[in-house]
Amino acid sequence: MMVPDEKFFAWLDGELPPEQAALVEAEVAKSPELARAAEHHRAMQARLRTAFDTVAEAPVPERLRPNANVVDFAAAKRARDDRRWGSPAQWAAMAATLAIGVFAGTLIAPRSSGPAVIQGGRLYAAASLDRALDTELASAPGKGPVRVGLTFRDQSGAVCRTFSDPQSSGLACRDGSRWQLRGLFAAPEGQSGAYRMAAAMDPNLAALVDSSMAGEPFDAAHEKTARDGGWK
Amino acid sequence: MDPSPSFEDQLGALLPRLRRFAHALSRDAADADDLTQAAVERALRSKAQWQPGTRLDSWAYRIMRNLWIDTARARSRKAKFEAPAEEGASVGEDPRDSMDAALDLKRMMAAMQQLPDEQREVVALILVEGFGYREVCEMLDLPMGTVSSRLVRGRTRLLALVGEQ
Repeated sequence: MMVPDEKFFAWLDGELPPEQAALVEAEVAKSPELARAAEHHRAMQARLRTAFDTVAEAPVPERLRPNANVVDFAAAKRARDDRRWGSPAQWAAMAATLAIGVFAGTLIAPRSSGPAVIQGGRLYAAASLDRALDTELASAPGKGPVRVGLTFRDQSGAVCRTFSDPQSSGLACRDGSRWQLRGLFAAPEGQSGAYRMAAAMDPNLAALVDSSMAGEPFDAAHEKTARDGGWK
Repeated sequence: MDPSPSFEDQLGALLPRLRRFAHALSRDAADADDLTQAAVERALRSKAQWQPGTRLDSWAYRIMRNLWIDTARARSRKAKFEAPAEEGASVGEDPRDSMDAALDLKRMMAAMQQLPDEQREVVALILVEGFGYREVCEMLDLPMGTVSSRLVRGRTRLLALVGEQ
């Protein structure tokens, strides 16, 4: 080649100042070999971009979104504007979701396997959910259907834990020796059973966590100590 | 009142591009999304180190690239013991399939994997992500001559691998 490789490619990439670009352009015009190389490399780059653009054009998995990131929830919480999750519309939506869950009866006992029971006008975790909240560690997920996410203390000092199973997700806080449900949200239509989704927090649940949490979520060691101490 | 979008929103808006870059660096889609997730987490934790007014994209790409480098040595040690079966195979053997961009992604990822790390990152940043030479020099802390010679070698090898005729 009459043109050094670096210069040829800098021309191809539009990185040369105009007068130098014109010189390379003239060389390429004279040389079938250079012209062919330019064509092949342009085609290769176009193919490369087309292939990788399918990634950029695809929907981003929810677990990768900054706001859905459980691990960095504390950082996200600190960073967020307080108003962000606090709008009345969102609270209304959350309350509606919870009400639907309660009155439709799909998530609540009498089904003995349901995750919640109502006693004295309060909603408590039941059965497998109660057991999971008592025993499961986020750092060492068990084989059961319920996954525990964040553990933290609320403003009253009670230990609270988020959980999800294929049908629902929610927040429960310690009330004596039981777990009182502060929120229970049905998984979006068509997503129940999609385990991947467990990593992404329902926005209504995120709002509830955000408004309840005092301080930082527990780390793995803290979570274990709290469990061994009976979630006091 | 501050009308500018929050750091998290800006980072969120960059995600499709960051994922694309992760795919250009990584062996498969699962590794790419793990890398993306790790980069997002580190970016959130390092938020205080980003100076508003500077480019968030270069900063976030740099975080991802450094994370990838951190794991690259362990990866290449492991690769020596698990010689991939397709090592010598041509990755562009059936050009009829190349019309399908999604299918071609796998082929292109496989071809990128054949490049040495230092060539792959330059090819990914310039040819896939569309950064200028100078931006890449700054991002990687490398002189222009190094970036441009790695780019020449990387893209020449890539062309030989995917066999664009």
